[in-house]
Amino acid sequence: MAAYLIRRLWQMVPTLLGVVLLVFFLFKYFGGDPAEILGGLNATPEQIAAIRQQLGLDQSVWVQLGIYFKGILAFDWGKSWATNEAVSSLFATRLPATLTVMLPILILDALLALPIAMWVAYRRGSLTDRLIMVISTVALSISFLVYIIVGQYLFGFQLGWFPVQGWSDSVWTNLATYVPLPVLLALMVGLAPQTRLYRSFFLDEMGQDYVRTARAKGLTENTVMFKHVLRNAMIPILTNIGLALPGVFVGSFLIEVFFSIPGLGREVLLAVNRSDYPVIQAVTVYLAVITMVINLTVDVLFKLVDPRVVLK
Amino acid sequence: MNAPLAGAGAERSEGVWHAAWRRFKSDRVGLVCAVIVIAFLLLIVVAALGGVAKDWQREVGVANAPPTFLGPRPAEAIGVIEVPKGPNVDLSAVDPLAPRYKEWEERAAKFKTAETVKAETLPMGADRLGRDVLAKAVKGTQISVFVGVMAAIVATAIGTLLGAFAGFFGGKVGDFLEWLYNVFEAIPGILLIFAFAAVLGRGIGTVVLILGLTGWTGLYRQVRAEFIKHRNREYVRAAEAIGASVWSRIFSHILPNVSHVVLVRMSLLVVGFIKAEVILSYLGLGVGIDDVSWGTMLAEAQSELILGHWWQLAAATAFMAVFVTAFSLMADALRDALDPKLRGLE
Amino acid sequence: MLLRIQDLHVAFRMGKVGGVVQRAEAVKGVSFDIAENRTVALVGESGSGKSVTAMSILNLLPDNAERSGKILWLGRDLLHTPMSELQKLRGREIACVFQDPMTSLNPVFTVGDQLIEPLVKHMGLAKKAALERAEALLVEVGMPEPKRRLAAYPHELSGGQQQRVMIAMALACEPKLLIADEPTTALDVTIQRQILELIAALQRKHRMSVLFISHDLGVVGEIADEVLVMRHGVIREQGPVAQIFTAPKDPYTQALLACRPSLEGNPARLMVIDDHIAQQATAPRAVAQAVAKDPSAPVVLEVRSLAKSFWLKQGLFGKREFKAVQGVDFKLRRGHTLGVVGESGSGKTTMGLTLLRLHEPTHGEVIFDGQDLLRLSASERQVMRRRIQIVFQNPYASLNPRFTIGQTLVEPMAIHQIGASTTEREQRARALLERVGLDGSAFGKYPHEFSGGQRQRIAIARALTLSPEVLVLDEAVSALDVSVQAQVLNLLRDLQDELGLSYVFISHDLAVVRFISDEVLVMKDGIVVEQASTEQILAAPREEYTQRLLAAIPRGYVSTP
Repeated sequence: MAAYLIRRLWQMVPTLLGVVLLVFFLFKYFGGDPAEILGGLNATPEQIAAIRQQLGLDQSVWVQLGIYFKGILAFDWGKSWATNEAVSSLFATRLPATLTVMLPILILDALLALPIAMWVAYRRGSLTDRLIMVISTVALSISFLVYIIVGQYLFGFQLGWFPVQGWSDSVWTNLATYVPLPVLLALMVGLAPQTRLYRSFFLDEMGQDYVRTARAKGLTENTVMFKHVLRNAMIPILTNIGLALPGVFVGSFLIEVFFSIPGLGREVLLAVNRSDYPVIQAVTVYLAVITMVINLTVDVLFKLVDPRVVLK
Repeated sequence: MNAPLAGAGAERSEGVWHAAWRRFKSDRVGLVCAVIVIAFLLLIVVAALGGVAKDWQREVGVANAPPTFLGPRPAEAIGVIEVPKGPNVDLSAVDPLAPRYKEWEERAAKFKTAETVKAETLPMGADRLGRDVLAKAVKGTQISVFVGVMAAIVATAIGTLLGAFAGFFGGKVGDFLEWLYNVFEAIPGILLIFAFAAVLGRGIGTVVLILGLTGWTGLYRQVRAEFIKHRNREYVRAAEAIGASVWSRIFSHILPNVSHVVLVRMSLLVVGFIKAEVILSYLGLGVGIDDVSWGTMLAEAQSELILGHWWQLAAATAFMAVFVTAFSLMADALRDALDPKLRGLE
Repeated sequence: MLLRIQDLHVAFRMGKVGGVVQRAEAVKGVSFDIAENRTVALVGESGSGKSVTAMSILNLLPDNAERSGKILWLGRDLLHTPMSELQKLRGREIACVFQDPMTSLNPVFTVGDQLIEPLVKHMGLAKKAALERAEALLVEVGMPEPKRRLAAYPHELSGGQQQRVMIAMALACEPKLLIADEPTTALDVTIQRQILELIAALQRKHRMSVLFISHDLGVVGEIADEVLVMRHGVIREQGPVAQIFTAPKDPYTQALLACRPSLEGNPARLMVIDDHIAQQATAPRAVAQAVAKDPSAPVVLEVRSLAKSFWLKQGLFGKREFKAVQGVDFKLRRGHTLGVVGESGSGKTTMGLTLLRLHEPTHGEVIFDGQDLLRLSASERQVMRRRIQIVFQNPYASLNPRFTIGQTLVEPMAIHQIGASTTEREQRARALLERVGLDGSAFGKYPHEFSGGQRQRIAIARALTLSPEVLVLDEAVSALDVSVQAQVLNLLRDLQDELGLSYVFISHDLAVVRFISDEVLVMKDGIVVEQASTEQILAAPREEYTQRLLAAIPRGYVSTP
């Protein structure tokens, strides 16, 4: 196990290197001139030159790269160009909001899709199954935007069931008041594809030989489905959830924008619109690290789920 | 449990595509959807050539004109200053500019002013600036679908090529490509798109490039897995044994056996990219300012909705829903036709 | 009488064409009985309907199956029993063992968990008591270290051990009838013998009836009391085993018995079923004996110290060497066949592939016509490819599904510039198709339109397009039915006589190897265990492993005097 962990951590290094290089060169060669952006529209050439020197942009590419690296390793992400707030504090304040919205969505999505998918797979080919498939296809074709616009208008504005926008400082107020509407809308959109996916997992398992063996032993259909099939189907389902975990940290920027939730996704969007490079770069690198760590954790925990997994 | 083998002489010889076409034809839902998709595509071609919706930018209606079936809005009485009737008062006695009246009148006569009568209602209503929503919807269809399809083609080309090389060669080439894949995968998708959008700006070509460059990873994974599976298959070994070149083995032998997987995946990409473009354009990161797409329409629709003007939202949603649903169902039918094993029991 | 099956029909719904439901009939009116304490064998080739018949007893067929007729178990018609009643029967009075134990066991539950399921359900045992009984069952089926195995997962066991678990699971509630659907087909020959003997012993001990399904008459002859022969969904003949083997009445049964290559006798050709059935109308001819080969023919291929290792990752950064082939030597003479025999994992296939450099060897020399094949440059290798070719095992995977037969055959010629024009190449291709016994019209067809045996002929034709001198046949007939196997073997013999080809014939089946080979190489774990002429290996095997291999081969029915 220790050997496996060490090897995986060792393998993360080139990937991280690649991410850093990608971000650095992308912004260096395709992005605008940081000095001009910082200087603003009315800056004089002298002012721009001064900024350039301050940022170290007059030095060679390799030196700049070195400075960039040092910053990352020292966990000094720099400051936002727009607000001058340290990027690390940006993370600390914005991340909780994102998680407060995204984690309920992830959990509820899986918890709801599972029984529906199982039921639909069991009744495969019936009218109900096909009806649900068609409904989910149509539901999927409408952009999430429309759901949010209409949902916000209908439930927030017209019916007044939920506040249209807003956020508070207490986690519980948020969960009770401000989170339900976004979560409801996200579920409406996400449930259909999740159900379809889980359904295909169940169907795959139901066609396996061990199902025939279980039947041959005289087990009831319920036992076969809930014990044998479900346990095997959990493997791809959990894999799927594991893959979705990193996305939870970025959050749904659409939800955050529409509902004015001060989360990480909205922050990145604002940074893009303001050409606030340090924020975008830092968030990208930071999230790449989180993604890799989460993947490693999921892989290690997977041994509990699938006994065939061999961690070499 | 085998179905009896069809008499080898009785059946006409058909390859995979012929057999798939035959199965596709018998799926009525898929066929109807294919017709709808083709109709849309024709509409797009006509729009692109300028046959239809060319003047979508002209403000032909009054601001926020309702759709025809709703009838014109009652005239608003507030805030309109009444235009006085009767001829103008003659001020030539007091006006110092009086001597030049004649000169100006002669000059003015040379110009023609076109009095455009703004329509009270349009087939699908007008937007905030009075532009025809129907024309915008058609043009938006052209742009959104074009972006989606082109981006899918770019992503498919990249993913297939890289996946083929990674799967077939393995070794150092495979390791390098895996590293590249890991780098792109480590960054959550939307973030990658934002990063690219931040530096590349907006515009149709840019969006195609951004989506194509960030969306190839899923296809890469699948193609690579398929190539790894196939490269040890006996027909490929046999090809090597008779002396077929590496190129021939990859492109003539294995790729045709993988093409149906690629096609199905590409159709999923089209849908995904259309929806991504809509969101990007909504956020102002997608198509340029002078272009219209379903996303820009939705952006305007949000503020219109509060005022009770729902027709732009409805038009964009309707066009998008019909096209994407038809396309998805057609892609499903295509996938079922290509792999009969996936068909449910009837 | 335990089980009476009367006029059973099973059809599968295959979807609708033009509004009419299409059906494929698998079983067309089958009737037989199984008495207590009897082993009844159901024999047939693939597609004969034997598995479907067996599975329909407990209704373990897929959802689109339709059964009609009568299945009477102790007087009760199982066709009309409600599912809840049927579930009480399954695993308790009638139990099953399936063909592929790896997929038939649930991969995420331990062996113990799966073993106790029928005990808990049918016998009402508490978990602890059930586990003790499960351990006792494992001992009974001959599982080493039974306590440890209870906590193991299926993938941690070998194929033979998994099958023992399946048998233990089936025996748990002391069933009256055991349905064994090809239980030994997926296992190696030596393991096969162990499992067969286990089933026979358990049958005697528990006085249980066994319905044994197989395609292998040799296996069936050893353990069955009664034999039913099925073909195309109907029973061709049924009766006591002695009668079926010594005095078969139905021409199909006779043909089936006759076209097995056996370890005795040295025929020039194997009987083919259709020939046999046709021949029965006329007086049976004496079987021609094979002509002995010239022992001093020139050596066409010489292999010295051939070795191939694979590197596997181990530990943190290390690699482990897996020696698939270690030091193989042999000489192949022109017009001769060298048989290479071994079980799975013996390295025989790897060796065959290395000869053609489809695997790069780690060590050794392969001398062909004075040149060392392993030291050739790329262009020289391309030329050499014309002279030594290969036919693979799996007829369903060795032809590109997207190429027509014509494209498959013309491609090698085009690569090596054989024939002046495309027309000439097509003519050659058609001629080759006819030479291997297929109609020239196959040229424009796709592989999926042909049966396994036909595809194997096409593969042989492809190998012949380059006019090679040596042909490596890697388990080329192993995936074929007995009668089709006979046809292909006869074809190979004919081609060898006509074209002077030399064969390296790789197989796990000693009987087949005996028919076609002049010399035999026995391999185990990458090493050559024994090497001699065919007669010598069969008459006086020197090594213990060779003797074990020979003893493990099912002999069929041997009448006790």
